Amino acid sequence: MKITTEISLLLKSAWGDFRRDKVRTALTSLGITIGVLSVVLLIALGLGLKNYIEQTFESLGANLVMVMPGSGISSNGPAGMVGGGAEFDEKDVRDVRNIPNLKYVVPVYFRSIAISSADAEKIGYLMGVNEELFPLMDVKTVTGELWGKTDVGKKAKVAVLGYTIADDLFERPEDALGKTIRVESLRLKVVGIVEKTGDRETDRSAMIPYTATFGSLNPKKTFWAVYLGVPDEEMVSGVKGEAERILLKRYDKDEFSVTEQSEILKTVNQIFGIINLILIAIGSISLLVGGVGIMNIMYATVTERTREVGIRRALGATKRDILLQFLTESVVLSVFGGLIGLLLAALIVVIVRIWFPVALNLLAVVLAIGVSSAIGIFFGVFPAKKAADLSPMEAIRYE
Amino acid sequence: MKTTSSIISLKNVFKEYLLGDGSVFVALKNINFEIHQGEFSAIIGPSGSGKSTLMHVVGLLDKPSRGEIIINGKDVAKMNDNQTSVLRNSYVGFVFQQFNLLNKLTIKENILLPATYCKEKLDFDADQRAEMLMEKFGIISKKDSFPNKISGGQQQRVAVARALLMKPQLILADEPTGNLDHKTGNEIIDLFEELNKSENITIVMVTHEMEIAERTRRQIRILDGEIVNDNK
Ligand SMILES: Nc1ncnc2c1ncn2[C@@H]1O[C@H](COP(=O)(O)OP(=O)(O)O)[C@@H](O)[C@H]1O
Ligand SMILES: [Mg+2]
Repeated sequence: MKITTEISLLLKSAWGDFRRDKVRTALTSLGITIGVLSVVLLIALGLGLKNYIEQTFESLGANLVMVMPGSGISSNGPAGMVGGGAEFDEKDVRDVRNIPNLKYVVPVYFRSIAISSADAEKIGYLMGVNEELFPLMDVKTVTGELWGKTDVGKKAKVAVLGYTIADDLFERPEDALGKTIRVESLRLKVVGIVEKTGDRETDRSAMIPYTATFGSLNPKKTFWAVYLGVPDEEMVSGVKGEAERILLKRYDKDEFSVTEQSEILKTVNQIFGIINLILIAIGSISLLVGGVGIMNIMYATVTERTREVGIRRALGATKRDILLQFLTESVVLSVFGGLIGLLLAALIVVIVRIWFPVALNLLAVVLAIGVSSAIGIFFGVFPAKKAADLSPMEAIRYE
Repeated sequence: MKTTSSIISLKNVFKEYLLGDGSVFVALKNINFEIHQGEFSAIIGPSGSGKSTLMHVVGLLDKPSRGEIIINGKDVAKMNDNQTSVLRNSYVGFVFQQFNLLNKLTIKENILLPATYCKEKLDFDADQRAEMLMEKFGIISKKDSFPNKISGGQQQRVAVARALLMKPQLILADEPTGNLDHKTGNEIIDLFEELNKSENITIVMVTHEMEIAERTRRQIRILDGEIVNDNK
C-alpha cells in the first residue's frame, strides 16, 4: 500500500472515531487547546511588551548618545541621584561641546518631584534642559510655544508641560497655558503644552531652562545626564569615543558611562528575550499537562478497545497497523487541539491589539503546531505500544 | 478425501497456561490432526475442553507451547508477527460466537476491513466482492446500517461475509450458532454447507451441539484438551 493511501486511511479511521465520540474528542483536545492558547498568548504578550518599549525608545530621537553617571542604565535609573558616580556640571557641558560633528548638546537636570497648580498637586518630573532638547527629542506643542535660547540665558521661570501632567493639574490640558505652576519654591509660567507622546516620563514632565533650577533646587549646579545629538548614525561611535576621552580627564572609568540608544535597546531586547523564555516555559507546563491528559485518555481507550484490537488482529492487522492507528488518533487529537488553541489566541490577539501592541509571530505558530504534534506522538506512543503489544488471543477473549 | 492436499496440520501440539498461583494448566495435550482442502468438519466437546484454544492456535491468534503447526508446508513457530498477520488476513477467515463486528463501522465497512490490512495489491475488486457477498447473504439492504441495528442472524451473516472477503483457504468458526436461536443457527449452518458444497470452501467449526455437529462430515471430539475421537 502506498504511504499516502495508508495515511489517508488512518486519518479517515481516526476521523470516524472522533465523529462518533464528539464529547470525548473535545475534552481530550481541550488540554492541548488551553496549553497552546497560553503559550501563544504569553509569547504575544512578551512581544507586545518588547514592542511597547521599542516604541517608547523610538520616540527619543534617532542618533542619541547619553552621558550618564555610573556604569549605565543597569546601575542607575533616571532618578539616578543615588549612589556614587559623576555629577556633571557646566564645565563638562562646555568640554563635550568641543567634540566635532555634534548637532545638539543638552544638559539634563532630572528629578521626580511634586508639581502644583492653584488647585491640584501631582508627582511629575522636573526636567531642567536647554532649548536644544526640543529638536533633539522632536518635541511639539499642542498649544502655546516652546521657550528658547534667550530664556536659558536670562534664567526665565518658564515651563513647557507634558500632556498628562497638564491634564492632571488643570481641568483641560489647554487650560494650563499662561497659568503659574509651583515646584517647591520655584514659580513657573506655563508657555506651552506638549503633544501626547506615549512616553510616560515626557508626558509627565515640566521642561524648564536648566538655569532656572540653579538655586535652592540645584545649589551645586549639576546635571544628571548630558544628551548628545549626532547628525548621522555613522558618527555615533566616533562621538562616543571622543566623549569618553574628554570625560576620563576628570572622572574615573566607572564613574560615568556613555551609551548610545541602540545599546540600550540591545539590553532591553536581551531582558525581554529572557522574559519571553520564562513565559514560554510557564506556558509549556500547561502544554505538558494537556499531553498527559491525552495519554490518560488514550490509555483508557486502549483498555476500552481491547476487543476491537483483537478483532482487527484476527483480520490481519499487524502490530504496526495497530500502533499507527492509535498513534494517528493521539496526534490528530493534539494537532486539532493545537489548531483550535492557535485560532483562539489569534482572535484574542486581534482584539487586545486595540489597546496594547501584542503580536503573533511565526515562532508562536510553529511552536503551537510543532509542539502539539510532538506531544501527540510522545504521549501517544506509550498507549499505542500497549495496544500493539496485546496478544491477539487475549484481546479477542477480552470481555 | 485421500487425494486432496493438507491445508493445515498439527503435530504433537501442546498449549499450557501459567496460572496466577504459579501452577501450569494444560489446555491442549498432544494434538495431532490434519485439515484437508474442501473438508467440512466439526470440533465438539463440552465447555472448557479447549475448543476455542485449539481454534486460536490453528488460526494463528496464539502460539502453541510445544509442537508443530504446518501451514502451506511452513512451520508457524518460525514466523514473525508480520507473516502470521498475512496468513490471518488472507489464508484464514474467522467467524465467532459473539460475531465480533466493529460497532462503529457500517456493515459494508466491516466486511471491507480485512482488505485494508492487506499489504499487497488484490487480484480482485474488494468493493465489488463485498457487494456480491452482501447480495448473496441477503444483507445488501443493510449495507449502510450499523451492526447493533440488525438482528443476530444478520450480524453473523455479515461476519461470514467478512471472513470470505479475502478468498481464504480456510474458515474457522468458533460456535457460530452459540448466540443464535435454533432456526437462525440452522440457517447459518445451511450457509456453510452451501459454501462447502458449491465452492469447495474448507470449514472447521467448533460446537458443543450434537445436532449441529452431525451436519458435518467429520467430527473431532475433544475432552480436557485431548482428542478422544476423530472419525475422518
Ligand atoms: N489465557 C488463559 N489463561 C489460563 N487459562 C485459560 C486461558 N484461556 C483459556 N483457559 C482455560 O483453558 C480451558 C479451555 O478453554 P477454552 O479453549 O475456551 O474452552 P472451550 O472453548 O472448549 O469452552 C479452560 O479451562 C479455560 O479456563
Ligand atoms: Mg469456547
